[in-house]
Amino acid sequence: MPCEGSFRDFAQKAFDPAEVASKPQALAGVRVLEVATRIFGPATADYLGLFGAEVIKVELPYRGDLMRYVAPEGFFWKEISPAFLPLNRNKLHVGLDLHPAEGKDLFLRLAEMSDVVVENLRAGTMDEWGVGYLQLRERNRGIVYAANSGFGQWGPCSEGRASYDATAQAVSGFSAITGFPDQPPMKAGFWVGDYTAALMSAIAILAALSARRRTGQGQLLDLSQAEAMIRALDWTWPFAGRTGKDRRRYGNVDPSYPPSGIYRCRDGFVAVSARDGGERACLARVLRTDGDGAPAAEAVAGFAGERTVAEVVRIAEAEGFSAAPVRGGREHYLDPHLRARGTVCSVEDPLYGRVDEYGPAPKLSESPGRVKWCAKPVGWHNERVFGELLGLSAEEMEHLARKKVIGKWADLPGARPPKEGIAG
Amino acid sequence: MSGFTEWAGRATHPESAAGKPEALSGIRVLEYCPGHFGGMVAASILGEFGADVVKVEPPGGDPLRRVAPEGVLVEGTGLPFLSEARNRRYVTLSAGHPEGRALLRRLAAASDVVVTSEAPDRLEENGAGYLSLRRERPDLVYLYLSAYGSFGPDAARPVLDSDILCQALSGGPFIVGEPETGESPPAPHQAPTRLGNWHGWFSQGLWGAFGVLAALRFREETGKGQVVDMAGAEAMMMFADYNITWMHTAGKARGRLGNYDPAVFPYTYIRCRDGYTFIAAYNDEAFESLMQIIGRPELARDPRFSNPAGRVRIENERALLAVLEEWSGKLSADEILAAVEEHTSKKSGPGAAVVTGRVNRPLETLSERNWQERGCFLRPAIPGYGELSLAAPPWKMSGTPPRWKSGCRPPGADNRDVYAGTLGMPEEEYVRLGALGAI
Repeated sequence: MPCEGSFRDFAQKAFDPAEVASKPQALAGVRVLEVATRIFGPATADYLGLFGAEVIKVELPYRGDLMRYVAPEGFFWKEISPAFLPLNRNKLHVGLDLHPAEGKDLFLRLAEMSDVVVENLRAGTMDEWGVGYLQLRERNRGIVYAANSGFGQWGPCSEGRASYDATAQAVSGFSAITGFPDQPPMKAGFWVGDYTAALMSAIAILAALSARRRTGQGQLLDLSQAEAMIRALDWTWPFAGRTGKDRRRYGNVDPSYPPSGIYRCRDGFVAVSARDGGERACLARVLRTDGDGAPAAEAVAGFAGERTVAEVVRIAEAEGFSAAPVRGGREHYLDPHLRARGTVCSVEDPLYGRVDEYGPAPKLSESPGRVKWCAKPVGWHNERVFGELLGLSAEEMEHLARKKVIGKWADLPGARPPKEGIAG
Repeated sequence: MSGFTEWAGRATHPESAAGKPEALSGIRVLEYCPGHFGGMVAASILGEFGADVVKVEPPGGDPLRRVAPEGVLVEGTGLPFLSEARNRRYVTLSAGHPEGRALLRRLAAASDVVVTSEAPDRLEENGAGYLSLRRERPDLVYLYLSAYGSFGPDAARPVLDSDILCQALSGGPFIVGEPETGESPPAPHQAPTRLGNWHGWFSQGLWGAFGVLAALRFREETGKGQVVDMAGAEAMMMFADYNITWMHTAGKARGRLGNYDPAVFPYTYIRCRDGYTFIAAYNDEAFESLMQIIGRPELARDPRFSNPAGRVRIENERALLAVLEEWSGKLSADEILAAVEEHTSKKSGPGAAVVTGRVNRPLETLSERNWQERGCFLRPAIPGYGELSLAAPPWKMSGTPPRWKSGCRPPGADNRDVYAGTLGMPEEEYVRLGALGAI
């Protein structure tokens, strides 16, 4: 029999965050062109970039991605929004207008050298501009083209119906099953309809790249963010089909594992979980409830209400059921466990200095993901991409800039570099 | 309809998927995750893209089969299991039996990917731990799912991974739900609120599948396998917006704001004649459009509302919500959509960014034409389980489209196919192991 904890010892070493920077990257050699704004498209490319893809983020010169101006409480830090930063790590930022012919030409040249395009414009927009999938595959038959949208590239709503995260939360049925029975449907306070779909888009891109290895062919990938949320609603659909009824809002008790749920303690909130018969029996013993069934939620609420979160967690771990604190951003920021895992990490950025971020969630022992640098102002990497990659001369770039085909940041908070200049 | 729309509809319609190649054909996945929905999701996603998924259950079946919200069981199997039970072969073995353990090891060693939520030391005892398997299969990709992950100070905490724990730790519920109003005691709904579906487990499975695909790419390049360590707590954390950057740059943690948002407004649900609908118009140009649509153009110049920072002050959000509901209360969600589309179809750029959509109950979603025509729902007749409404794979792809191929089967239904067919076990051994209770 192997010695106790041997996998843990292995894991402690194999996943050491101090070693991550020197390890290879899983998606090295994959180049991604991003033509996207706000969250759905940028997050898709961000996830690929975290694992080593080279992402070239194409923004409209001057103002760029409109997400730059989404700032919590109107707050900008060093002229950039804290909400823009986590969506745009490890990217090369170029300002390029796809409307003029020279802009299309530059884009097509970039696409010839790329593996993936991610866009989230209204359905058909890239095609109208002459740089859609059908045009790109003429130049690069291996291109994997992810068209992210609200309602899909075809079908009754494909003619330009716009969508945000909460559109997907609303129309999918997600919000109708979230919240409390005597209250209105609840919108998740974070942009879950964008991120869930972005991750699904990134997954399909990796699958398509795997297929391309055998066939040499790229393909079009059409993903609706509402359909991504629909796929995530577990037993909602077979329940509707079998009973003809809507699944209800159950508040904070999980109807699949009652009384598992979120409960108020003296000093915060705790999640109590009893997933199987063994855990339910332990919980019943601690609560001293009678009968064979699961303890009532009221009994758990009474038990938790008299205790602190730490007490409930300690009792659960000692007695054989499960519990965990309900944590927020502050707890994450200060959590030694998340720091030790690189799930909350610090990056030293040449422009902004130290920035803390969520690091990649799945940990790969041999080819781990990582945050290498932060988002940058519009057009920050124009010279690197147009000059070094496409081979344009300084004169050519100046000419294109004068014609407003390429460009840099507008003099606005969100778009421009920090006032104090390069961080020391 | 443009040429592209027509082409895309033809090339990516799910009905045209049959007969096309699959992206992950040739990849075998062993799923050993009793009681764990996140593991099922990870394996399903790989299966939808064409991987050959073999699900190992204990004799008598996965305990998840008996999880039955609202008491609904179909042939002894609950709806959560049925919703995710797709594209698999179902085998049973007893890990408590020495020959069952040997079989688990043979199955793992014959796979490209192992997906498991079992404790690592128990797996090592059962012969299917990574450290011993990798000697035989250095190219194995091994996805380990748990609440806290396999390393770090909390890794040894004795918890059984579940959706509610993953949600609670992720930071998601912390910023979902109504804030307290100062009354004592606060109402039950003024609390961090769980997402109604198993979004914690679902995100864990999705990130797990992503990690596996990234690891498979690395394997294609180098021949090397590896461990993918996927903490359920961290899956939805990746979706929790700018929690960390806001703490770092402003020292602020996000709280609960009900259906409001600290960064954008209007971006909320509003009451309408037939329920609720979503309305968004958060840049200045779109806000001006929305004020024209509701017949209050002067409000675009009201100093409280004339810039994004003013609009996200909570007192201004409340005042604007009242104005919006005065208009929307008389209209149905469809009429609001028509009014918005009428106005925005004449505009382009930031001024067209007024967005709306009805807050659908599930039956309303099921009946919407767009999802029906796009093949978003399936209603297959599954042998032994009857007709079931299921969500189809959401991706429409022109080259290697994912697809739903088969539904739930009873535990062990594919024992002979896998043990005799795939592993090449002689008939007498198969019969002997059955008699021993190992399978």
